[in-house]
Amino acid sequence: MLVQKPFFELFFSYVMRYWPRILNLTWQHITISSIALAITLAVCIPLGIYLTKNEKLAPYVIGAANVFQTIPSLALLGFLILIFGIGNDNAICALFLYAMLPVLQNTYAGIKSVPQHLVQAARGMGMTEYQILLKVQLPIARPILIAGIRVATVWIIGTATLASAIGGGGLGRLIFSGLASIRNEVVLAGAIPATILALTADQGLKWLQEFYSPKARALRHARKTRSYDQQM
Amino acid sequence: MVLFEQVRKVYEDGTVAVDNLDLEIAKGEIAVLIGPSGCGKTTSLKMVNRLEALTSGTITVDGRNINDVDPVKLRRNIGYVVQEVALMPHMSVAENIGTVPRLLGWDHKRISKRVDELLALAKLEPGKYRYRFPEQLSGGQKQRIGVLRALAVDPELILMDEPFGALDPISRENLQNELLDLQKVVKKTIIFVTHDMDEALRMADKVVIMRQGRIEQMGSPDEIQENPKNDFIRGFIGEDRLAQISPDSPVEPLIQEPLLRVKPSVSAAEVLDLMEDEGCETAQVIDSDDRWKGMAMLGLLKRAARKGGAVTNGVRVDRKLFSEDATIRDAAEMLSDQDIPIPVVDEHGSFIGVVSSAGMAKLTISRLTRKGKGGKA
Repeated sequence: MLVQKPFFELFFSYVMRYWPRILNLTWQHITISSIALAITLAVCIPLGIYLTKNEKLAPYVIGAANVFQTIPSLALLGFLILIFGIGNDNAICALFLYAMLPVLQNTYAGIKSVPQHLVQAARGMGMTEYQILLKVQLPIARPILIAGIRVATVWIIGTATLASAIGGGGLGRLIFSGLASIRNEVVLAGAIPATILALTADQGLKWLQEFYSPKARALRHARKTRSYDQQM
Repeated sequence: MVLFEQVRKVYEDGTVAVDNLDLEIAKGEIAVLIGPSGCGKTTSLKMVNRLEALTSGTITVDGRNINDVDPVKLRRNIGYVVQEVALMPHMSVAENIGTVPRLLGWDHKRISKRVDELLALAKLEPGKYRYRFPEQLSGGQKQRIGVLRALAVDPELILMDEPFGALDPISRENLQNELLDLQKVVKKTIIFVTHDMDEALRMADKVVIMRQGRIEQMGSPDEIQENPKNDFIRGFIGEDRLAQISPDSPVEPLIQEPLLRVKPSVSAAEVLDLMEDEGCETAQVIDSDDRWKGMAMLGLLKRAARKGGAVTNGVRVDRKLFSEDATIRDAAEMLSDQDIPIPVVDEHGSFIGVVSSAGMAKLTISRLTRKGKGGKA
């Protein structure tokens, strides 16, 4: 008796009916991803900077991050059950380990790419080591740094869908339950928001990078002063 | 202003970069440290703002031992210009110049006023250059900004580490002149490192020639040129000066002895015979006081000889160069006009020598071989 309705009709009716749940899961997804990203940045950027000052350690630490990145993400989640049990903590930790490499490596490479004579000149002008880092090295390394963060962000948002496989939340719930019950409209209801999230985050970071590029900043500045000059 | 006492620098690998250096630089003086690479000139410079630590000895700046001053504070009060220019690529011209004022916590208005003031000082229109980025500037403009950056907080002492080394010869000369003009206004104490002897002689109040961490000779540019202490100095001055010759350099290096010198009292016929013996077509007529009386030329001389006159009847006196202001370019133009030697005289009319196309060719060859060997410019 059951007549298969057209797919899109099914999809739309599912979305119309369950949109609060989809929104809720999207929000969970964002939360998990943001926490994982925040931890990644908070750990890897300082660590990357530290490595530029202790070159001998660099190959070991970056090598370790590389190992985590190579382990299949689902398998990594499995390993972590031993430590964290099931749930979001486990997922966040796995995402962090997974996304370490691009941020760590790009921080390290970005700072190393700053020409030594600029650092020397900054020191010669009387900048403290901290000021050199903040005013010279990090701004010059920023494009490389942001490129690493973009990669990490997209990976985290994509991989966060696996969190539900070990009892975590997020849009993965819809995808996994859709797959289990062979209901493609449910799979899509999870997959589409997850994709949109990843693309938006990536574009947002790209825009941020352009906004803070020296040229764009100078242009804004010049425009501001020009209007200021006209007022005078 | 700056005093080096028994300063020694030994690197970890045991190389002695600076060996018991004693040097005093007076206020308002441009002291140029020069020497072959590895002579310790840059190390000596970097010890003044503590970019390199002293192994032993003391350096005092303005009466204070630099080791008693916090290095960061010390550096903020000493201007620093480096060869690579090292303008921050992510900062505009104004931000670059304002770096040290910002470190010292000046307020915004004061900084931008100072930046405009400095840009005007270098004849760069503030409205046009303030918001440019280093990549939008020519090499010469970049280094002008580099110098302005060092002047930003009006430090008494400025260190310059081969500041014009990376520039083409024309920009280099322009910047040297501008810096000298600027120095007349700002009267800073400047320690300047270079490997270019011409630059040293042009810029310096005091030239300090170094070798293997020691001072080989020190003195004003004139003293050094007139009394080079030994062959090393002589070689260093001569070689480099030759390398730096440009069309606008004085003719001096080209001057040679003439093939034939004759007294004014000699008859024209005798000179013709002498010319035939020597196989030349001209002779310089010089009296017993070394005064130049003209250049005897074959055609004119033959006519004078037919009349049986003295050599002075067959000379030309209008074709000559004055040693004070004649340039190589002048000589080359005259020679390409008429390929016979040009007499060179000083302002009192005394004979100095001649410039010939053979001498010009020799100079050209020596410059070409130098370039061919890939020697430093």
